[in-house]
Amino acid sequence: MSESVISVSELTRRFGATTALDSVSVSLPRGAVYGLVGANGAGKTTLIKHILGLLRAERGSVRVFGLDPVAEPVAVLSRIGYLSEENDLPGWMGVDELIRYTSAFYPKWDDAYAEELRRAFALDPAAKIKDLSRGQKARMGLLIALAHRPELLVLDEPSSGLDPIVRRDILGAVIRTIADEGRTVLFSSHLLQEVEQVADHVTMIHQGAIVLSAPLDDIRESHRIAGRVPSLDEIFVAHVGTPASAADA
Amino acid sequence: MRSPALAMGWEFRRRHLWALIAMAGYLLALAAIKLLFLRPMEPIRLDPPDGRAAVVITPLTATYFYLLAAFSFGLAGDLGARPSIYPARMFALPLRTAALVGWPMLYGTAAVTILWLVTALSARWPWGIELPLIWPALLAAVFLAWTQALMWMPYGLPGLRAIVTVPWLATLDAVALLAIHYQVPEPMMVAFLVPQLPLAYVTACSAVGRARRGEVPDWRGMFARPASNAVLTRRRDHFPSPARAQAWFEWRRHGRSLPALVGLLLPFELALLWLAKDAPAFVFEILFLALITPPFMAAFTAWTVSQPNPQVRDSYGVPPFIATRPLTSAELIAAKLKMAMWSTLAAWLLVLVAMPLALEWSGTWSVVTERARRMNDAIGTPRAATVVLLILAGFIVATWKQLVQSLHIGLTGREWIVKGSVLLTLTFLILLGPIVEWIIDSPSGQRALWNALPLILAGLVGLKMSAAAWIATRLDRSRLLGDRALVAGAASWVLAVLALYGVLVWFFSTPFVARYVLALIAILAVPLARISAAPLALAWNRHR
Repeated sequence: MSESVISVSELTRRFGATTALDSVSVSLPRGAVYGLVGANGAGKTTLIKHILGLLRAERGSVRVFGLDPVAEPVAVLSRIGYLSEENDLPGWMGVDELIRYTSAFYPKWDDAYAEELRRAFALDPAAKIKDLSRGQKARMGLLIALAHRPELLVLDEPSSGLDPIVRRDILGAVIRTIADEGRTVLFSSHLLQEVEQVADHVTMIHQGAIVLSAPLDDIRESHRIAGRVPSLDEIFVAHVGTPASAADA
Repeated sequence: MRSPALAMGWEFRRRHLWALIAMAGYLLALAAIKLLFLRPMEPIRLDPPDGRAAVVITPLTATYFYLLAAFSFGLAGDLGARPSIYPARMFALPLRTAALVGWPMLYGTAAVTILWLVTALSARWPWGIELPLIWPALLAAVFLAWTQALMWMPYGLPGLRAIVTVPWLATLDAVALLAIHYQVPEPMMVAFLVPQLPLAYVTACSAVGRARRGEVPDWRGMFARPASNAVLTRRRDHFPSPARAQAWFEWRRHGRSLPALVGLLLPFELALLWLAKDAPAFVFEILFLALITPPFMAAFTAWTVSQPNPQVRDSYGVPPFIATRPLTSAELIAAKLKMAMWSTLAAWLLVLVAMPLALEWSGTWSVVTERARRMNDAIGTPRAATVVLLILAGFIVATWKQLVQSLHIGLTGREWIVKGSVLLTLTFLILLGPIVEWIIDSPSGQRALWNALPLILAGLVGLKMSAAAWIATRLDRSRLLGDRALVAGAASWVLAVLALYGVLVWFFSTPFVARYVLALIAILAVPLARISAAPLALAWNRHR
C-alpha cells in the first residue's frame, strides 16, 4: 500500500456533554474507495468535518496528505472534492456562474469534463441554483466536486440528496473511475447496500467510536456463517445491535 | 396547549423570551432609578430631546423596531427574496389564512400598544410630561400591521419588497408628522388611523393566501438579458485568480445593497431642495442629510456583510460551501474588505452625481457657491479646498469603516458575542445622552474633561496598540498572515497615520492644540485593531 491520504489518530471530540468522537483512529491509503457507515448521529459527519478542517481536533491529530487541514487549508482543500450533506450552494448563482466561480479555485479544473458532467446531469446553464430541485442541486454539488479531478473525493451522505437514477447509474461509475485512476474516495452513508456495491474498505462507526474497520472482502470472509456470506446490514446489526438506517429513529 | 392561538403566542414568547425579560428588567431598573435618585419634577426637554430622555427613548425605540422585526418574521426571512417571508412551515397548519394572519397581527399590535403606554407612563412619571395615549398607540399598531402585510406579500422582483415597503411606511410617517405639525385634533387622527388596521389585515390575508397557494409572480423575464448577452455572459473568461472570484462572490452577495439603499433614499432627500429655495440654512441641512445617508445606511448593511451565513438568517456558523473554499481566512476577509470598498465607492458615486444635478435643477446651486465664496474669502482657497476634501474623505472612509468594523464580531459565529455586542452598543447609546447632558450642565466637569483629554486619548491609544499587538501575534502564530503581509499592513497603517497627522498639523496650526494630541487623534482615527481581528474571528468560526 502507498502512503496514507488521511491519517486520524486518537481523535476525540465533545459537544457539551455529548461525545461525538471517542479516540477515533483511521488511516486511509491512496487509491481505494472507503465507505464510512453508521446511523445518523453516529459521528460520520463530525469525522468528515475534521478531515476538511471545519472542526479543530480537541484531542488527537488529523492529517490529510500529511498536512494539518486547519493550519494549511489551502494546500489541503485544493486537492479535495467535497459534496456536503447540507445542500448549501448559493441559490442566487446561475449554474454557469457557479461553474465559473468554482473553477477559479482549482488549478486542475477540467472545463471539458465539467461540461460533460453538466450534460450528463441535465443541468441548464442559465438556471438559478435556487430554482433547481433537491436532486438537481445535489448533482450540481457533485459536478463541482468532481470537475477538478480531486485526489480525494469526500461524499457526505450522497444518498440523501441524489436521486436513485444518478446514484445507481452515475455515482457508482464515477467512484470506480476515480479509484481506478489511483485517486481516493471517502463516502459516508447509512444505506449499507449502496456502500457494499462500491466500497473496497468499510469503517463502521457507532456512538462516536469505530466498531469495525477493514477491507470489505475481509469483513465478508470473517463473518461467513455456514458458508453463507451475510450482507453488510446483517454484519452491522451483529456489531451494533440495530440496523444503520433505523438506529437513529 | 390545545389552541392554535395559544401555540402561536407561545412560539413568539419562547423565541423572544430573553429580549422580553431584558426589556422588563430595564424598565424595572429605570423605575427604581427614578424613584431613588431623580427628583419628581426635575425638568426635562423633549424638543430637542434632553440627554436624559435618551434613557427612555433609545431602548424603547430599539424595542419597537425589534417588535416590528419579530412579529413580521423579518428576523428569519429573506427580505430581498420574491417569496413571502411568512414561514412556509406554517402554511401546512390546519388553520384558515385569516387565523394565520390574525393572531400574529393581534399579538403584534397588542405588544406595540403596550409599549407605547409604557413609554407614555415613563414620560408622565416623574416628569409630568403629558403625552397623548390613543393616537400614537394606534399609529404604532398601524405601522406594525402594514409592515406585516407588506413583508408577507410575494413580489415579482427581488428587492421589490423594500422598494414598496419603505416609501409606504415613510408616507404614513410623514402624514403623522404633518398632522403633529399642524396640530390636527386627536379625533381626526384616530379617524385617519383606525380604518388602516382592517385595510392592512385584508391586504395581509390576501398576501398570505397567495403565498400559501404558491402564487409568486415572476417579472424577472421583463428584465432578462437578451439571449445574445446571456451567451456572452456564459462565455466569459475564467477569473484570473481565486481572490478575484471571491471578491466577485462578495460583490454579488453584499456589494450592491448599499448603493441600492442609497439610490432609493437619495431622490426623496434631494427632492426637498425644491422646497428650500428661499431658506439657505435648510439647503445645507438637506445636503448634510444626503451626505450622512451612505455611512448611516452602511451601518445597517454591515449587519448582512458580517453574517457568516446570510442564507440562513438565524445561523452563525460558516456554511460548508464557503468554509471549504481553498482560501485562507485572511483571503476570505480580504475579499470582503475589497467588496466594501467598491460598494462604498458606488454609493458615493451616486451621491456625488445626484447632488450637483439636484442643486442645479432645483435652483439652489447659488446658495452653495455663495457659501463656498465666503469660505474662500475667510480661510483662503487651499484651506477651503482641504476642508471640503477632508470632509468628503471623512464621510467616504466612515462609510467603508461602518461596513467592515463589525466583521470581527459577526464572523466569530458565537451568538453570545453578537448579542452581547448589540447590548453593549445599546447601553453605550443609552448612557451617552445623560453623560453629555451632565457635561453640558457642569462647567467644572468640562474643565476636568478638557484637562484629562490627553490622558484619555493616551489611554485609548494604549488600549488600541495593545489589542493590535496581541492580534498581530495571534495572526503570526496561527499563520493566518505571513510575515511580509503583516509588515506591509503595519507599514501602510503607519503611512496613513502620518499622512493624517500631517494634514491635522497643517490645518490646526494653533498653539491651543498640542502636536502630540493631534498625533493621538490620528492614531485613533485610522482603523487597525478591529479590522485586523476579522481573520482571527473567521478562523475561529471556520475551524471550530
